[in-house]
Amino acid sequence: MNNPGDKLGILTETIAATAYSSGLSSPPVVVNDCWNKIGANGDGTCRELEKFIHCRNCPVYSSAGTRLLDRDLPANYRREWTELFSRRKTIAALGKVSVVIFRIDTEWLALPIPVFQEVVERRTIHCLPHRRQGIVLGLTNIRGELLICVSVGRLLGLEREIKKEKPRTIYDRLMVVQWNSSRLVFPVDEVHGIHRYHPDELKEIPATLAKNAVNYSRGILSWLSKSVGCLDEELLFYTLNRSLT
Amino acid sequence: MLFLLFQLGNDRYVLDASRVVEVLPLLELKQIPHAPKGVAGLFNYRGHPVPAVDLSQLTLDQPAGQRLSTRIIVVNYPDQTGKNLLLGLIAEHATEMIRRESKDFVDSGVNLGVAPYLGPVMMDGKGVIQWVHEQRLLSEKVRDLLFSERMQPA
Repeated sequence: MNNPGDKLGILTETIAATAYSSGLSSPPVVVNDCWNKIGANGDGTCRELEKFIHCRNCPVYSSAGTRLLDRDLPANYRREWTELFSRRKTIAALGKVSVVIFRIDTEWLALPIPVFQEVVERRTIHCLPHRRQGIVLGLTNIRGELLICVSVGRLLGLEREIKKEKPRTIYDRLMVVQWNSSRLVFPVDEVHGIHRYHPDELKEIPATLAKNAVNYSRGILSWLSKSVGCLDEELLFYTLNRSLT
Repeated sequence: MLFLLFQLGNDRYVLDASRVVEVLPLLELKQIPHAPKGVAGLFNYRGHPVPAVDLSQLTLDQPAGQRLSTRIIVVNYPDQTGKNLLLGLIAEHATEMIRRESKDFVDSGVNLGVAPYLGPVMMDGKGVIQWVHEQRLLSEKVRDLLFSERMQPA
């Protein structure tokens, strides 16, 4: 049913049927559906196929599609369109920002899309000797390349204690990010996906908050009745890169 | 150059697509009593009254068929001061665009004088296509009638 020819074939039949049943005065549109007989959906004996490869490139096919418009107006057609075009045109808000929303521990956070390269399944993180207490978790293999895996949760102070091994869940992923030619990986507990918002939707963070995450945040975004902290990617990656050395 | 193809009777004509603002489906028109021939009525285009001219009625004396392929082409129309105002053109089979160079069109050699909007022609496999200069469609009298209201201060 994925084939456009099939759909068109069905369409022509239904149009003819409805035209008859509703007793319209004009004759139903008769379309010679050669694409279902000798074309790509038929036995493929049409000689034009050599030239056009598929019926959808053939002018006969497109003109048959155009001819479907030579029909009487359905009931209420003019009324509905008149209502639509009498309204003023609304222009969607410009300057929207796209972010990827993810969860670390219990906090929902967001980073702008351009920093992300890919989201991969959780895989083994190889520990580095003498590097067990900082934010560096170790090295991990991403498409044959060893990348440094860091803990954004620890940097932001979201993990109250450093757990040895977190229980594996089905939602946890590794985020591969790039900022100023340095590539890093960090684990998250859940990835929601992409969200678009207007900069005006960002709310200020309460000044009384003393959490570390506040320093790296641009603002708070409400999303599905949750509060999402939009991280400042420049500040975050600056600190991450500095703590690697 | 991009052209919008439509039909008058059985013949094909084109409009310069750069003059087209929007192609609308057939809308409900408010009739204008005592309107000159070809003026089909007024319609509400996003809150503004825009006059519509039935091209079939204007040129062939028969109203355009009420079909899905009959559309209202909204074009920029210069008034007597040269300011662009909107005008709706009801045309049959306004379903296709074609890309041609303006040098593909040649002078038809026929000049009836009564139809200054008919421009040069172009031949292709299916016949002859004629360029319609939409800014010369209406006679000055009709144009001033249609757009005179806008001249008055609000």
